[in-house]
Amino acid sequence: MTFLAPAAAALALTLPVIVTLYFLRIRRPTRIVPALHLWPDQIRDRQANVPWQRLRFSRLLLLQLLVAAVLVGAAVQPVLPAGAGLAPHSIVLLDASASMQAKDVQPSRLEEAKREIGAMIDQLGPQDRMTLIAMQSKPRIVASASGDHDAMRRALDDVTASNGPADMTAALSLAAGIARAGEQSRAYLYSDGIIEPLRTAFANGLPFPIEYHRIGVSGENVGLTSLVVRTGAQTRAAYLRVHNFGQQSRTFTVEWRSDAGLIDVRPLSLTGGQAQDLVLPVPDSASTVTARIDARDNFSLDDAVTAIARTPSAFRVLLVTPGNVFLEQALRLRTDFQVDVVAPAAYRGAAAYAMTVFDRFSPATLPNAPFVLVDPPAGSQLAGAAAVGIGRVRASDAGDPLLTNVSLQDVHVARSQDLNTSRFGRALITSVQTPLVLVRDQPFRQVLVGFDIHDSDFPLRIGFPILIQNLSEWMLPPSVPSRSFHPDESVTVVPETGATVVSVVRPDGSRRELTAGSIATFADTDLVGIYTVEQTVAGKVDRAWFAVNLFSEAASQLAPVDRLTLPPARAFPASQSAHRGFLQVWPWIALVALLLVVAEWLAFHRGL
Amino acid sequence: MAAPLLEPQLLRRLEALALMVRRAVKGQTGGERRSVSRGRSPEFADFRNYTPGDDYRLIDWNAYARLDRYMLRLFVAEEELPLSLFVDLSGSMDWGRPNKAETARRLAGAIAYVALASLDRVRLTVFAEGPTSGGAPYRGRHSAPQLFQRIQSFPAGGTTDYSRLVSPIARQRPGMTVLITDGLGESPVEPAITSLRLARQEGAVLQLLAPQEIAPDWTGDARLKDAETGAEREITATPATQASYRTALARRTDEIERAARRRGLRFVRLSSDQPVEGMVERTLRKVGLLG
Repeated sequence: MTFLAPAAAALALTLPVIVTLYFLRIRRPTRIVPALHLWPDQIRDRQANVPWQRLRFSRLLLLQLLVAAVLVGAAVQPVLPAGAGLAPHSIVLLDASASMQAKDVQPSRLEEAKREIGAMIDQLGPQDRMTLIAMQSKPRIVASASGDHDAMRRALDDVTASNGPADMTAALSLAAGIARAGEQSRAYLYSDGIIEPLRTAFANGLPFPIEYHRIGVSGENVGLTSLVVRTGAQTRAAYLRVHNFGQQSRTFTVEWRSDAGLIDVRPLSLTGGQAQDLVLPVPDSASTVTARIDARDNFSLDDAVTAIARTPSAFRVLLVTPGNVFLEQALRLRTDFQVDVVAPAAYRGAAAYAMTVFDRFSPATLPNAPFVLVDPPAGSQLAGAAAVGIGRVRASDAGDPLLTNVSLQDVHVARSQDLNTSRFGRALITSVQTPLVLVRDQPFRQVLVGFDIHDSDFPLRIGFPILIQNLSEWMLPPSVPSRSFHPDESVTVVPETGATVVSVVRPDGSRRELTAGSIATFADTDLVGIYTVEQTVAGKVDRAWFAVNLFSEAASQLAPVDRLTLPPARAFPASQSAHRGFLQVWPWIALVALLLVVAEWLAFHRGL
Repeated sequence: MAAPLLEPQLLRRLEALALMVRRAVKGQTGGERRSVSRGRSPEFADFRNYTPGDDYRLIDWNAYARLDRYMLRLFVAEEELPLSLFVDLSGSMDWGRPNKAETARRLAGAIAYVALASLDRVRLTVFAEGPTSGGAPYRGRHSAPQLFQRIQSFPAGGTTDYSRLVSPIARQRPGMTVLITDGLGESPVEPAITSLRLARQEGAVLQLLAPQEIAPDWTGDARLKDAETGAEREITATPATQASYRTALARRTDEIERAARRRGLRFVRLSSDQPVEGMVERTLRKVGLLG
């Protein structure tokens, strides 16, 4: 047994003081009574103020001495070795992601993890320290290298589960930065294992070993994993994906609502592991569509999803070409594009268009607006040097978001202008011989393609329309994207021209102001639901919406992971061994003291 | 000038009351009580044959007309009731708020006045360690001031010895005896109660206690001093000790009550904070001592 506060043993001096008080006699006031013989012969010394007397046996004295002794025992804070091995510095990674809201363990996975961490805090010795990191989309340090049990408890209580994912890579990087060189540290991961894959290999290993403590028991869950509204030529329809991630069959109802009211309610049965897509026509008047299930499962965050049903405003796009069916078809895939096609000879300017595509033609004056210039004629503005033979192509930066979902593996180009000397912008697609596609942000978002589309097999690949889609979205971003975002995902808002006030109203009704004059990034998307972007233009309030939904099959999967592949720890000196934690017993001793005090009080009042 | 023992208004109300006896009594002089003797009164009692020497004015001539025999009409004789008051003025009675001795004096005065107003004969005996001389009996309401003065002249004090009441009680003529005491003396009350029975007394034991001794209102450490003996004892009064005291008091009271009832006496427990008017007009009427 170890004592955390041995100096408190000095309080034992109270014991002889109590005995001394019993040696003293009490000065008692005289009271005349009519019949003394009726009063019991009972005397108890409680206070002393005059001369000494012989010490008399008293149960109260024994009880008071016992209470004092037990209180001294509690004050020295004895601890017993117990629990798991603890390092001098414990780094606790608490998964506070969306899946930790699951209630397969009561009251929730997060609360269960907090309970286990709380027990660990109780075991901290006087020299031990603990760092607590809440693992969310942006991990944060909740308590840093503290040995204060109360402060740790308070910090732990303040952790709440977010609706976003858990970024373990960032959390481990944070923990590695906190662990001091030469310090004996150990990390404890309290999680259900539903975390984002590691982005970094941590090839050099971590400066501490990691223990994984699995939280959660069941993966029974029915979730809505996708909801989109597609606008066709004549109708609009909502497409919903419902997935039973559990092993048991479930029957539930699917409720559809729009902002105009209830649309439909229908029952649905799914066997274990089964997924089903549902389609429902959306009324023209609807701006939003919400689907909800009453699955009564362990996870409610994926039981309701929302999509924006309003068709975005159309952009006018001009294609100037002697004839290019590939480009024309790729542009027309955008439902919000109104594409006009003219021959080069008929080109009279592009002032009325949001974007212009010049195919094998370059006007004398290029518009001060977004454009795509494909294979400009030799000698024209922005034209490259003489054509060179190419062959295979590759991405200049594989992680470039403009090449998302664009595969260049089987793409070949016969010949292209030599753009090596072009100062147009950065290369997006390149080859051994020359850059092939250049992009720039200033003065407007513009694209230069060095080769004729017909001199390539690229238009025959699936990546071509995707690239055109990516480029057109980049050049003409909607003021407010109407698609669904994930929790904690940033949303780019491009204020309308002339907007004086731009604000976002969150699903809980709170409002966030944005800077009106520039493109703003809105990151407070931790809540799921509909966000309303309000822009005041010329005194008139214009509203647009975007939705935030979980839409994460990884999170909805919910089954806790038994084994996690964790980065290795570096080799540690043999002396770096964990000691066992402490079990504090003083609260129990204090409880015994309290019971003794109650007994002493009862004994006194019952005249024992 | 000392305050009168009983207020004139109370005296007027007491005149409407009378002592109630369960059986007829034999007095020395005429009064308003039914007597075991036959005498003159409006109340018919019986017939008997005429014998020479009888008062021929008592012959019932109607009966002679029907029976042709001389018959005498007998009437109930009305005589006085001998009332003996024994009032405890020991040291234990000189205690409490209101003072028990003062209340006992007023209560005894009130009962005595009821008797005097009914032409009953009243004998007053005050006792502590021993009884005082009963003195001459009082009769008629004109003697009430002397009786009140005598009650007030006795100071309270001394120890209680009930055994010394046996002899004076035994000398009483059959009648009514009222014993007013707190019953808290160390000596037992039973001998005095037994002697009442033996002296063929129809009576009552009125136990008078102060509210502070019925429910002690103090706790803590104290040196207790007996009001009669002066004996002292240190004590720590806790709820437990108070409960023990109340149990002892209840046991003592029960003993007195059982002894009284076993011998056909009325028993009433009174608190000194009750007004004397209430005691005589309600409590004592309720138990049938007054009517």
